[in-house]
Amino acid sequence: MIGFLEGLSEMEIISGLTVLSLLFGLIVIGGGVLFAKIVKMLFFKYYAPTLPKDTAKNFGKIIYFGIIAIAVLTFTSSQGIDFSGLLVAGGIFAIVIGFATQSVVSNLISGVFLMIEKPAKHGDSINLPDMGITGTLLDIATFSSKIRKFDGTVVRIPNEKFFTTNIRSFITVARRADAAVGIAYKDDIDGAISAITEEIRHSMPFVLVMPAPEFRIEELSDSSVNIHVYVWYPRPDWGHVQPVMLKAIKNALDKAGIEIPFPQRVIWDSKQ
Amino acid sequence: MNQSTHNATSSNYGVHQIYETLNLSFLHVAIRVKRIDGSAFLYVRDDPKGGIVEKIVPVVSDHLKIEVAPIRPLNHPARRGDCVFLKFDKSIHLDKGSAMTVFVKCPIEIGVFLVNGADRSSFDWFTCDPLNSRFALYGQSDTGILCKYSDVAVSTSENFDDTAYLQAVVKITMENKLDSGNSVSKIVFPITDNSIYYNGSKSILDGIDVTMKKRGLVDIADVKVKPLETDWIKSPTWEPSTTNTIMEMGLE
Repeated sequence: MIGFLEGLSEMEIISGLTVLSLLFGLIVIGGGVLFAKIVKMLFFKYYAPTLPKDTAKNFGKIIYFGIIAIAVLTFTSSQGIDFSGLLVAGGIFAIVIGFATQSVVSNLISGVFLMIEKPAKHGDSINLPDMGITGTLLDIATFSSKIRKFDGTVVRIPNEKFFTTNIRSFITVARRADAAVGIAYKDDIDGAISAITEEIRHSMPFVLVMPAPEFRIEELSDSSVNIHVYVWYPRPDWGHVQPVMLKAIKNALDKAGIEIPFPQRVIWDSKQ
Repeated sequence: MNQSTHNATSSNYGVHQIYETLNLSFLHVAIRVKRIDGSAFLYVRDDPKGGIVEKIVPVVSDHLKIEVAPIRPLNHPARRGDCVFLKFDKSIHLDKGSAMTVFVKCPIEIGVFLVNGADRSSFDWFTCDPLNSRFALYGQSDTGILCKYSDVAVSTSENFDDTAYLQAVVKITMENKLDSGNSVSKIVFPITDNSIYYNGSKSILDGIDVTMKKRGLVDIADVKVKPLETDWIKSPTWEPSTTNTIMEMGLE
């Protein structure tokens, strides 16, 4: 066994690097990777739950790759490997690779800037109007970001595109919902507004008292007086407000005996 | 065998030791607890809107012990923050250097807790006034604070009329340290710092100190809790505590 190892130590691959030292290096780096995984797992188990999700993910990556980098450096320094030659070659190689993988590098740099600027964070609902994508941001990774659309599918977006596109964020404290309804010309506008206000108060508990529901007479149209209703609600409660708003308005007008007219035409008979 | 025993006969608040059944009525809400077998009870709450909440509670002893107590108004229709927004019916004008103490009635909810020795675990909660249990936004939609909202009448004396199961009285002390007079028509504060105490069906919250002062060039109101010294029973709580707040988005 000792003889075998001595044999390996005499088999030189490049100057200063023998097969034995390469094996030693693989063991050190492998151990480092294993150690990094354990530390990362412990971090996610015991500390990450107390941090914001995107911060925890970034910290996890730093810990993982940081330990691996230390393992590699430990190996190279212990074996006295001289990288000066590699640096010159690596510099030229990097330029070549840089041109060849421009978009990859661009995505990487964009990812770094996205992590620094944080236009949105994990779990935020966002809309990318230029791409027609609306959903929940799942992750900003090294090269790409993932958004889960509201239909449940996941979209992967290269970081470069994500960084340069417009981002509409839905992370405000409160949002506004709106709906339009038309009432008959014969009906009282103030009565309709009062009925809708009362119905919203009774059946839509998530509508904010302040700012109060707002009513605008948008149009005196052909068949109806069109009223636009605007209400504010807490951001997470869209589902309790926007989808049920028209139902509440219709119920209110029905209870108050106010007509929602169909399109009408008055036809004159010129002979009469 | 007794149906149940209760340590506060004048109200539904307090610790109830239930052997067979318990019926409590809070304005429009009714609670019924009954034994369904040797080791479990059925808890039923009739919602004011016609809904029914039912829960089965296993027990290891021959009885179930619960405490019913007023709690902070943060849970109905859903928990969306820690702050309460009290809109005064009359604004209060404080000249520079002046101070005033007023009393308002802050809305409350009612909590049901399982009692296990000295421990209390939250079991159920409800409001007797769902219609007025609403949210308001203090500030702008992007940077503001979502609060539970209530219109309150300002009084210069402590008044517990018509507060049973609905409101707790809060003592608010206001002081103006600004260079000019200022009007206050609302107060916004994280109520998670305020303990609630009850006595019979009356309840009271820790006091609030509001100091109007300058922070740089901005007029702000520093709102802090002033703990009460009282022999009333302190309600159990489970919300995490928060620090004092700064009202910097307007006083009127």
